[in-house]
Amino acid sequence: MKVSVGDVVLPGDFSEEIAAVGEKGKVILGPGLRKEVDGIYITKAGTLKKRAPNTFWVDNYQKRYIPARGENVIGIVVQKAGDIFRVDVGGSCTASLSYLSFEGATKKNRPKVVNGDVVYAKMLVASKDMEPEIVCVDSHGKKGRLGVLEDGFVFKCSLNLIRKILNPECPLLNSLKNEWPFELAAGMNGRIWIKANTMRETIALGNAILGSEYLSNDEIKSMCTNIASILAGHIS
Amino acid sequence: MAEIYKLIHPVKYFNDYLSRKIRPDGRAFHEQRNIKLNVNSIKAADASAVVKCGNTTVVCGIKLELATPKAEEPDVGFLVTNVELPPLCSSKYRPGPPTDSAQVTSTLVADIIANSKCIDLKDLSIVHDKLAWVLYCDMVCIDNDGSLVDACIMTLMASLKTLTLPKVTYDPETEEISVDTSVRTKLNVNGLPVATSFALYKHEQSNIVLADPSSYEEEMCGGIGANLITCYNNGILCGSQKFGGCNLSIECEEEALKIAKERAQAVEEVVDVCIKNYELEINK
Amino acid sequence: MGSDNTDLKDFKLRPMKCECNYLSKSDGSAILSQGQTVALVSVNGPLDIKMTNQSIEKATLEVLFSSKGGKPAIGDRYKEHVIRQTCETAILGSLYPRTGITVTIQEMEDYGGFLACCINCTCLALLNAGLSMRHTFAAVACAIDELGDIQLDPAPAQLAAARATMTFVFDSRNKTLVCGFTEGSFSEDAHSEALERCRSASQLVFDFYKDIVSKYSYVIG
Repeated sequence: MKVSVGDVVLPGDFSEEIAAVGEKGKVILGPGLRKEVDGIYITKAGTLKKRAPNTFWVDNYQKRYIPARGENVIGIVVQKAGDIFRVDVGGSCTASLSYLSFEGATKKNRPKVVNGDVVYAKMLVASKDMEPEIVCVDSHGKKGRLGVLEDGFVFKCSLNLIRKILNPECPLLNSLKNEWPFELAAGMNGRIWIKANTMRETIALGNAILGSEYLSNDEIKSMCTNIASILAGHIS
Repeated sequence: MAEIYKLIHPVKYFNDYLSRKIRPDGRAFHEQRNIKLNVNSIKAADASAVVKCGNTTVVCGIKLELATPKAEEPDVGFLVTNVELPPLCSSKYRPGPPTDSAQVTSTLVADIIANSKCIDLKDLSIVHDKLAWVLYCDMVCIDNDGSLVDACIMTLMASLKTLTLPKVTYDPETEEISVDTSVRTKLNVNGLPVATSFALYKHEQSNIVLADPSSYEEEMCGGIGANLITCYNNGILCGSQKFGGCNLSIECEEEALKIAKERAQAVEEVVDVCIKNYELEINK
Repeated sequence: MGSDNTDLKDFKLRPMKCECNYLSKSDGSAILSQGQTVALVSVNGPLDIKMTNQSIEKATLEVLFSSKGGKPAIGDRYKEHVIRQTCETAILGSLYPRTGITVTIQEMEDYGGFLACCINCTCLALLNAGLSMRHTFAAVACAIDELGDIQLDPAPAQLAAARATMTFVFDSRNKTLVCGFTEGSFSEDAHSEALERCRSASQLVFDFYKDIVSKYSYVIG
């Protein structure tokens, strides 16, 4: 079936609109789109989106992470193998993390990482044929926000929820940060790490995030105030 | 050289042949392999047959047994079919319990025989609610080079056609069973179901139907076994199964049905001639 | 996420109802009812599998069928084979080399047309899992009675009176036959007529998929 931007699409549908843009110049095909001999075909179910001038993708529901280069992910160190750590990022195989890819790490000065640690890292190499590689430094050797996450609490959610809460238009984090202090790291692999002062606040935060998955922006705002009032009521 | 080419570019190797309208083993697309059939070569079985379609070799043996029929169907006997794929027949199989593909083939064969209604299970009944025949039909594949279901059905039908049932007398008072092996009657077989396998391959935007595929062709067409199996009995379709391979267009289907119909007649002739020769031999 | 199929037109299928993401822990899941027939499917993957089962070219597909009684039977292998072959043509396995995709089907209720229901439910679960696919697929069952009349999506009473039953699976691109299997004997004409009617009826199933997907993309978007 022929589809255009903004439509709900299913695998097997094709878009002449994208093909037409492609004839004039370069097009960037995001997830859920595929070029075949006779046109551009959809491979995932969701909504066809466009960002001007030439980027297209399908916004679909997904829980399983497929590694993609440049994304920030939260992983759990599962094994130490010589010079590298094996990190579970939720993909089909573990990612490797070299001990040298930490800020200030040298052969003498090894970073203190043990099995079970949670790391916030960037995907450096992600290809379907190779093991993914992650790093905890940027190209200048600075750690920035990356590195081992101490304490806190990690939970899983769908990949859409991550994209939703990281969207600048989403009011969730803005509303919550005014209510009580907390730290949060969201991995594009469907994992969220949170840390607040008390256990009660941590649980409230986690529930607020998970509860926002199917809510509209207005509903999210009212939910946040609601949770904050319950939390305040119990403390006083 | 060709062998190396085949290893390095397996798909291109196959495509190159097809674009010249020929298959890697030298056959045309619709050409079938030679059939060799031999009946009653196993003396330990009550009926048997060996068939060779190209390299695919299947042996079938039928063993007779007596049993009490099921209470819910007191007038019905049993026909038990089983297909075995030992490691002998292909490097794909390991020793151990029946593999998935052996179970799938068994189901396919049993379904085709049941759907074609070539054997009336009521003929196997001897005494109402007391005694009935059980036909254990075991098919063992010696060499699996594709189109396995075709060969299985052929050898099974050839065996069933030569099967004779000894006379059984049952005394209702003493419940004594006596079997007289010297008096034998032929089993009633209605028609002769013939299965025909096809592999379907998408080549340069056109779909190609390969009749009687070898195991290599089946593999290239993405199927575990053949992609399309159609079965005729007395000119009536009694089963059409399609799995995997490229999608089947209407033209391809018509093409396949035509080939299957022709093959059904050819196979019928082969089986009839073979059985006739065998009967001449023993009556000599 | 539930939906009724009210638009029945000339081709009557039993009403379909579906819930996607029915299971919280699997990567994709769906429960589908067609009339009183109900199937539940869970999809997991791509995941890590044993070295021996890995294929360097494409994802290894594993299909598990469990019947209501839970006892494995030879007939189940056949159903698994049918569903695996269908999925294999639909999923773009080459995008996930050296991984495994597991599809688990649980029989809930069988009131006719069960295998068709399983296949449709599998398609919904695959869509929910977000695996890349070449096309979607829809299965339609039909029964031919003694008079030669064709009844789409038969109920148990119609199945009992049928001379032959057929199930066809079509792809969403050109509506060509992906998979098909028959029981009983029938003429060629009956076969081709049944095929055409099922082909037209498959549009209802595709519309239903679109309906389901648009409902949930509206919610998450």
